[in-house]
Amino acid sequence: MTAQEQPGGPGEVVELPAAPRATDIALNELELVYAFIYARVGNRADAEDLTQQVALKAIPRLRQGAPASAIRGYLFATARSVLGGFWSTRLGLSEAELREDLALPVPTTPPSDEGVEIVQQILAQLSDNYRRVLELRFLHGYSLKEVAAEMHSTVGAIKVMQLRALRAAARLRPLE
Amino acid sequence: MNDKPENRVDKIVAGLLRGRRLKLRGGDAEEKEAITAAARLAGMRQGPQRMHPAFRNRLARELEQAPREGWMTRRAALVAGLGLAAGAAGGYIGRAVETRPVEAAVRPIEPLNGRWIDVAALKDLTEGQGKRVTAGSVGAFVFRRGDGVTAVSSICSHLPCELWWDGRGEHLVCPCHPARFTSQGHSATSYDLPSLNPVHARVTAEGRVEVLGTE
Repeated sequence: MTAQEQPGGPGEVVELPAAPRATDIALNELELVYAFIYARVGNRADAEDLTQQVALKAIPRLRQGAPASAIRGYLFATARSVLGGFWSTRLGLSEAELREDLALPVPTTPPSDEGVEIVQQILAQLSDNYRRVLELRFLHGYSLKEVAAEMHSTVGAIKVMQLRALRAAARLRPLE
Repeated sequence: MNDKPENRVDKIVAGLLRGRRLKLRGGDAEEKEAITAAARLAGMRQGPQRMHPAFRNRLARELEQAPREGWMTRRAALVAGLGLAAGAAGGYIGRAVETRPVEAAVRPIEPLNGRWIDVAALKDLTEGQGKRVTAGSVGAFVFRRGDGVTAVSSICSHLPCELWWDGRGEHLVCPCHPARFTSQGHSATSYDLPSLNPVHARVTAEGRVEVLGTE
């Protein structure tokens, strides 16, 4: 190190804050990645497997002292790739169809805690019957039989309605 | 009866609502929109999820034990979109990122128990234009060079996405990020991306194009 690169002048003591370990930063960032993945696969077991894949792929490549923003960007890029592989393998989705997931922006803040409200806002865009069947199923946890009784219909008709409602929900922008 | 789409999708919905893994099978691809919507609704209904403490602890242990390359490579930074951001950020991120040179030599794909697979007739290929072919598990773009052929992997060397041939621009283009490659497989952008893996290809005496692939 040359004299010009010294952080302080002669005799001056410069205290540098201890840099947090990249692993600790990454673990906190992985909480966001986990929430991001869980919101797309809808179950804990798959979300844990995929988050683990992201961590093991990405972490060895992050350098000590890298800023949190860099770690987050790289983790989410890896998460998109891992999620793409998950759906591609499970459903045979093509790259073009995965573009929605691949193009999702990197979250800059932790997501809000209003899951039910968000689902209700999304479902509000559906027709009354479609909204009702998905609300009863996903928000109230009704069985098909209970939904049929509530909506004065048959189990068979509710099954078909549920399928059509999900297809319609897939086309709503906030779900993308 | 169970093969009806409404039954299959309901089975998947019921599994999700019980917190089970997504168990999908081949025919489910036809209902991919409904299935991904169900997964998202199931995922969102409880609000953002945090890692279970036991999983977080396990992850922490694995991270501590993971082999550390020690540096975020320029390629890694590009995945994160940082290459583009570096300029805008006044070089801050640029300083945080190691610009290790990308390895120059890229090895050709040589599958164990490789097998020559017939993929096309030479006469059907247009000089210099890429044709996407599959040789078992090996995907490749083959290019006619007079009476011979060359081939490169159809997978981007950066993100594992399937490339496509832009005949007008005469480049292989990645749909996942701004990366392009020449027909020789070399990066055609300002980023130092590794070249595409070459794929062995040959023309038989009968004028058939074969690619070294798998069963």
